[in-house]
Amino acid sequence: MAPTVLICDDAIFMRTMVSDILQQAGFEVVGEAETGAQAVERYKQLRPDLVTMDIVMPDMGGIDAVRAITKFDPEAKVLMCSAMGQQALVVEAIQAGAKDFVVKPFQPSRVLEAVQRVLG
Amino acid sequence: MSLDPSRYAELFRTESREQLTAINRALLSLEEGADPAEPVSVVFRAVHTVKGMSATMGYHAVAEFAHELESVLDRVRRGDQLLAPDLMDALFASADALESAIDAASEQAVQTPAMIGALQRLRDVAGGSATSEFPAVQLGGPGALAEVAASDPLDGPGVIVRVRQAADTVLPGVRAFMTIQRVRALGDVAATHPPVELLQAASEPMAFAMRVVTTASVDEIEGAVRSAGDIAFVEVDVTGRTRHEPRTTLEVAPDGGEVSRPSARPTRHVRIDLARLDALMNLIGELVITRGRLLQLTATNGDPALDESMQMAARLVSDLQTEIMTMRMVPVWQVFDRFPRLVRDAARQLNKDVNFVVEGKEIELDRSLLDEIGEPIVHLLRNAIGHGIESPAVRVAAGKPRSGRLVLSAARDRAAVLIKVSDDGRGIDRTRVLARARSLGLVEESTREVDDDTLFRLIAQPGFSTADEVSDLSGRGVGIDVVQSKARSLGGSVELKSVPGEGTTITIRLPVTLAIVRALLARSGAERYALPLTHVRETLEYDDVVVQHVKGKRVLVLRDEVLPLLDLRDVVRQGAAPNAAQANREIVVIERGERRSGLVVDELIGQQDIVVKQFDAARDGLALFSGATILADGAPALIMDVGSLFEGS
Repeated sequence: MAPTVLICDDAIFMRTMVSDILQQAGFEVVGEAETGAQAVERYKQLRPDLVTMDIVMPDMGGIDAVRAITKFDPEAKVLMCSAMGQQALVVEAIQAGAKDFVVKPFQPSRVLEAVQRVLG
Repeated sequence: MSLDPSRYAELFRTESREQLTAINRALLSLEEGADPAEPVSVVFRAVHTVKGMSATMGYHAVAEFAHELESVLDRVRRGDQLLAPDLMDALFASADALESAIDAASEQAVQTPAMIGALQRLRDVAGGSATSEFPAVQLGGPGALAEVAASDPLDGPGVIVRVRQAADTVLPGVRAFMTIQRVRALGDVAATHPPVELLQAASEPMAFAMRVVTTASVDEIEGAVRSAGDIAFVEVDVTGRTRHEPRTTLEVAPDGGEVSRPSARPTRHVRIDLARLDALMNLIGELVITRGRLLQLTATNGDPALDESMQMAARLVSDLQTEIMTMRMVPVWQVFDRFPRLVRDAARQLNKDVNFVVEGKEIELDRSLLDEIGEPIVHLLRNAIGHGIESPAVRVAAGKPRSGRLVLSAARDRAAVLIKVSDDGRGIDRTRVLARARSLGLVEESTREVDDDTLFRLIAQPGFSTADEVSDLSGRGVGIDVVQSKARSLGGSVELKSVPGEGTTITIRLPVTLAIVRALLARSGAERYALPLTHVRETLEYDDVVVQHVKGKRVLVLRDEVLPLLDLRDVVRQGAAPNAAQANREIVVIERGERRSGLVVDELIGQQDIVVKQFDAARDGLALFSGATILADGAPALIMDVGSLFEGS
């Protein structure tokens, strides 16, 4: 069975791109979320194998969402999606329980490497 | 594998524009004195999103600009930067620059003059970006890496782990932090070199070392380090290892219960190119016509099974039509939301004080109509601010509130949508319009008074007010002809109401949708014409009781109201109906704004959905028809521009 992924980003553009990359790599995108609160709720519903999480989102940011998700499921595999200039935030996200990160602009190969590290 | 960025270019533009609308809306609410916390974080998030998208697209100039803007916003958000008026102006200018940059975005990393200007302003008022890490992908060669020596801090019990990060490591500080974190899971990281704080803040890939007190094997340690990612080299030096009691670890197994995955999928949206929707709409239009033809053909055939199937197919086509129409409908705020910003800028430029109100934002219109109507509304708003609303001093002197009121509203009116631009300004100066009209020979020398309709007809004359001094004199009129012709080409009309000293209201009446409209089919002689329901009020039997003669002209008396009567035969120059047929004729009451007329036709055939085929000849030639259509029986028919019938009367 294809591994499942939940994609969390407030921009459709980014969701589309991440979704394309992961689908090409054989993932099944089971859900998307536009806010941190949605991400937490969908995670509980869908229990995906992988979560990609934007840091800056309305209605609960990505870091708080990671915190809530790992509290609910300590084994949750969350990959942070960060932009340039968010070094400190990424550190915070990792401390909150995220397993790895990728930095925009996304290069498909780097995203997949990170995914392998997270799932491996 | 590769990604083709051009696939995303349109998505990038569409979504960036949405973000810009959000930015402008939030900036406006900030300026109006809203609690800054929420709007500032809205702007911050939107700018941040644009940054991420443009960087991904390879639009580095846009990304860098957004990055710098974001840094300023971040400081505002944290309370390190005061939101002073000059910063507000700089932010507005930045939003504009960002918009132009997005429109012109390409992979050329060139900043536009607007961006450079806006950045300069930002730096002037907010000191610019103090910590510009952009672009962070800097490839330092291995030679650039600091050599790690086993110096003092690493002296002590435990193993020494030496690590070198890959040359293309992104956010090396975070990677280093993760590396340490992974190793920490195996034991105690007693010390690092350089110190942890420096490692975490690093912006260049580096080499570092740590002293770890652990019982884990070399392989385990190396594995943990590599699992952090972007590691070019790792070495575990066990020479200084001291023995410890084996750590007792208790693996807590996660809940082994079956994880249920609900099959319900969340709502997902698909973005569709509008051209595809148009194509679909056209196909459904053809299907609607074919349905009509089939219904006619099968009506007389007497086979109940065929009838039933035909009725079913007809219903399905209707459902399909409703569905696609709904898909095309968008709330007017998608266009209206950019107007507050425009009004603010225009008012500032002209030193007017304007209180702008938008009503009926949620009213829906066909997407293509909404796109077309944006520019005419801009004309009307600009006119209202420029010529309608007086300067604060003049208003106060006239006993009016200092601040002018400008209302843009949308409302449904049966098959039509009314869009109104209304101001409480000085109204149109009729005397001056008349003077101009007399000099152009548009009215008779003796004319001293004009009603609203004539007034509108005059100022909507192409060229009537193109001369600058005249647009000032008339108080209104710049581009009115443009508004008028645009509304007409969309199957709508424009009405005007102006009271000296009290203000002006201009109403654009539009069909709800463009492609398929409901129309009344009327016969005149051998020809059939379609009258869109947008302008139809009711229909009546021709009856000598209601039709009377006043001063040699026929008029219609309807519920104590006397309406002028037009004859479709006269309108299309067919010659009078035979006397015998006169009594069987019918009347369509048409309306435009406050005005109504009766239109006498030979016969009303019924209502039908017609598919509008635009033709340009209608606009250049006789302004009687707005387009053509194919009727259910395959014959063509002209669509009347009902609004234009009021102009001859």
